[in-house]
Amino acid sequence: MSDSAISTRIGEPVRRKEDLHFLTGKGVFSDDVSLPRQAYAVIARSPHAHARIRGIKTAATLAVPGVVMVLSGDDLRADGLKPIAHMPTSTHHAETALVNSDGSEIFTAPRYALAIDKVRNVGEAVAMIIADSVAAAKDGAEALEVDYEILPSVTATVAAAEPDAPRVWDEARSNVCMDAQVGDPEATETAFASAAHVVKLETWAQRVTGVTMEPRAAVCEFDAATQRYTLYTASGGAVRLKEDVAHVLGIASKAVRVVMEDMGGNFGTRGEVYPEFILVAWAARRAGRPVKWTCERSEAFVSDYQGRDLAVTAELALDAQGNFLAMRGSNIGNAGSHTVSFAPLKKGLGIMSSIYRVPAAHFRARSVVSNTMSTRPYRSAGRPEVIYVMERLIDLAARKGNFDRAEIRRRNLLSEAELPYTNQFHMTYDNGAYHKVMEEALTLANWQGFERRRIDARKRGKRRGIGVANYVDTSTGAPRERAEIIVHPEGKIDVVIGVTENGQGHETSFAQLITEWLGVPADDVRLIDGDTDIVKVGGGAHGGRGMRMASLVIWNASKQIIEKGTRIAARMLECDPSSIRFDSARFIVEGTQRTVGLFEVAAAAGQLKDLPDDLHGSLSACSEEIHHVASFPYGTHVCEVEVDPELGIVDIVGYTAVDDVGRAINPLLIHGQVHGGIAQGAGQALLEQCHYESETGQLLSGSLMDYALPRADNFPFFKTGISEVPSTTHPLGIRPAGESGTTPALGVVVNAVVDAVAEFGVRHIEMPMTPERVWRAINGKQPPSSVSTSR
Amino acid sequence: MYDFEYHRPANVEDALKLIGERGEAKLLAGGMSLLPSLKMRLARYSDLVDLGGIAELNGIRRDGNALVIGAMTPHAVVAASPEVNSTIPALASLANGIGDPLVRNRGTIGGSIANSDPAADYPAGVVGLGATIITNQREIEADEFFLGLFDTALAPREIITAVRFPIPRKAVYLKLRQQASRFAVVGVFVARMGNGARVAVTGAGPSVFRVKDAEAALARKFDASVVKGLQIKQDNLSSDIHASAEYRAHCTSVMIGRAVTAVS
Repeated sequence: MSDSAISTRIGEPVRRKEDLHFLTGKGVFSDDVSLPRQAYAVIARSPHAHARIRGIKTAATLAVPGVVMVLSGDDLRADGLKPIAHMPTSTHHAETALVNSDGSEIFTAPRYALAIDKVRNVGEAVAMIIADSVAAAKDGAEALEVDYEILPSVTATVAAAEPDAPRVWDEARSNVCMDAQVGDPEATETAFASAAHVVKLETWAQRVTGVTMEPRAAVCEFDAATQRYTLYTASGGAVRLKEDVAHVLGIASKAVRVVMEDMGGNFGTRGEVYPEFILVAWAARRAGRPVKWTCERSEAFVSDYQGRDLAVTAELALDAQGNFLAMRGSNIGNAGSHTVSFAPLKKGLGIMSSIYRVPAAHFRARSVVSNTMSTRPYRSAGRPEVIYVMERLIDLAARKGNFDRAEIRRRNLLSEAELPYTNQFHMTYDNGAYHKVMEEALTLANWQGFERRRIDARKRGKRRGIGVANYVDTSTGAPRERAEIIVHPEGKIDVVIGVTENGQGHETSFAQLITEWLGVPADDVRLIDGDTDIVKVGGGAHGGRGMRMASLVIWNASKQIIEKGTRIAARMLECDPSSIRFDSARFIVEGTQRTVGLFEVAAAAGQLKDLPDDLHGSLSACSEEIHHVASFPYGTHVCEVEVDPELGIVDIVGYTAVDDVGRAINPLLIHGQVHGGIAQGAGQALLEQCHYESETGQLLSGSLMDYALPRADNFPFFKTGISEVPSTTHPLGIRPAGESGTTPALGVVVNAVVDAVAEFGVRHIEMPMTPERVWRAINGKQPPSSVSTSR
Repeated sequence: MYDFEYHRPANVEDALKLIGERGEAKLLAGGMSLLPSLKMRLARYSDLVDLGGIAELNGIRRDGNALVIGAMTPHAVVAASPEVNSTIPALASLANGIGDPLVRNRGTIGGSIANSDPAADYPAGVVGLGATIITNQREIEADEFFLGLFDTALAPREIITAVRFPIPRKAVYLKLRQQASRFAVVGVFVARMGNGARVAVTGAGPSVFRVKDAEAALARKFDASVVKGLQIKQDNLSSDIHASAEYRAHCTSVMIGRAVTAVS
């Protein structure tokens, strides 16, 4: 066993192997791929939120020097392209499926890669211009004449659900495409009737977007000889993308090869097929040459999937001692123009009561379509929204009933003895030490010493506040995953897997599993995850499934490698396999000094003549698993803020997180995940919003000049602690860590700010808590008549 | 970006000749506003005349009781200048707070004031100090220079060559930043001059403006108490997704008080 092998085992804070590659500019992102003879595509997009396309004239565009071709919805229809196979209602085994309470069918909107007859959001793709250069394609796009008949539009969530709202889809009965109920209305009514305290919150977890550092790009070539398409791009999962593209083109999925190298951010908003990926494939065949498209930042703001956008009315009932009795309410999720995903609405609803004991509950959940870009899961789909609601309700209850905010949480937090626990929304939490983690976080944040810091801040003219939030996260995602491990005699190991690397550090953390189980240092492990000619099966990166699924199949495949290797080693060492043990990359005959190394065994597999068929050739193993069980990361965050009471400016001055990951593979990467997650959650709490103007449906926050993204100087140094209570629903005890930072951040930041300004009579502040919003709250002023801020 | 002809003259005369000859020519200073608008195809010019090659437009010098800053002097140079820091540190700090390091290395004082962006920082310093804008044709007082949103007193073939700042007794620039762009939602420049006080505000309205009520009160007694609760009229202030006119008016009042305290 080499020293380096020891240092890269499970639990070690191994530095990212991939960083040298990125920091020296060797990353290969989508736009870095160019092909000989490629043409360039520019997308002509709708300037209107809702309009009928009366006609498209292409003559002027085709007359622009360098323009090769224009493709519109009519061409798409003529070529028989199908709608994109979004699966909005797909539900994991562990989740509650939502159905319309009147028994009717859920409406799902057909989405074509180019608009057919109508456009339904600003930025919807109307035509594709292909030219010899980007500049020529842009000239062509400007020359395109589209005759629009502008129709009334609706963007706001609650407004879209109104019966008289402008209709987004004539094919649907209304904009409400799903209307479900969960829970027991009678028991809930009874509990509310007997309550000593009832608190109510009407709020909106506003629309935000992912703003990945790398904008999307794609280039595709079509080989007429083999009739195959090769698509170079980046997405949340290569295998699913291959199938989605093949479906729309109406071809066998083996006719599409997707190649993904590095990806500069996913966060879910890049987790699914996009029209442009299909369009470059279609166009490559039509044009007879490769076609490349690169998204620009302002284009990304209108055409990337967006996230959140949940309007909630919720009530919590308590008895006189502060015990939770019941909760009820209504959630409306804004799906945008097309029903790409109902997952945020569904996944949020399932954990509405978080990890608290709530004996009765009843909620209505609706999804509405609107004239906005479609939404889909964005880092911790649906859960940050509902955890925010629950933690706000608790603070409101503490205020109303004069309960201590930590104490009321302790009183209602599920104890270890109550686990596993099935909540009123039919979700069953595994295990955990909820109380212990909360106490650890409070201690780490010096909750007890806060009042002194509050007094100190006041002397400086500031108002200091502190907030605490507990959370649970539901990790499900695509249940099928596969890994292949190949041991090369030269001393290297390849791991082929369908979990996609988007920046999480899988090259390092997955390699640590190999170090742990096969004794090979991480530097000698290569990860292959982005080429569908090699990776045939696998679910990609989403829903906290990466390490959870990868560890299962890598573990199983590693065991097979040892088992096969043992049998080969027995031949080489001339002993019985049962007398061999495997340790640190060596097969050892028990009680002797006779050993043979893993890589020597791999060489022998190719050389020994008399091996049985299953051992002869390369030393490799495959594992494919379907794992239908959910995992439940949980934890506690504490946030401390200072507010300038005259101007309303909020500074986060302290942030503490303790997150249970079950078993930490690489604590360094986990801390990094949590840091980034906190920034995304706090960004929503304080800064970010996709502002749609309600009259016109125009996106007013269409660039980084108007969409406020958090920056490093918005934050203090975080204190992050890791708890490791192995999950009972995962064979290796692992809980995901990728979404933990975000899930409680919205609620805990709002709780802290409201605490800071509570002395002014402030009960609640909506997100994002801009300086003006905070100032208005302090001074009891109504919101300004700015139309785009309504829910 | 549409095609254009690029020119880099070596002196002001050649630059003037170029913009005189060419139909849709535009002067290019640091390009920090012009280039993004070209890249997004929001503007189109037949010719760009880059002033970056004209040595006489660059540099900082002391001229009696004034500081003269060449029009093409980058913000980073102003921010780091010992001359500026020893005479008008508020101006150095204003320059050091513009944009990010990339912008400060490229952007210039002349380009900034010629553009007259409603949220730019330099107009507050120029008006707040009562500076004089020197062009190839004449000298323009700061109060006469900024006419409105992206509008100045500059004639079509007029090039700013330098800005002359009188040296105040003490001055300060405070900025409340818009959270996305980090431009000023409200930027307040307060200068205590030998003969009174000047108060200039950027960001809050379509163009920089002076707050004469505050100046008059401070002329009588330079103390934060005299501007406490100062009412700023909302009528001409901006409202957008980042801040309403009402909030901008409130912040202007509060920040004038803080600025006065800082220079008292």
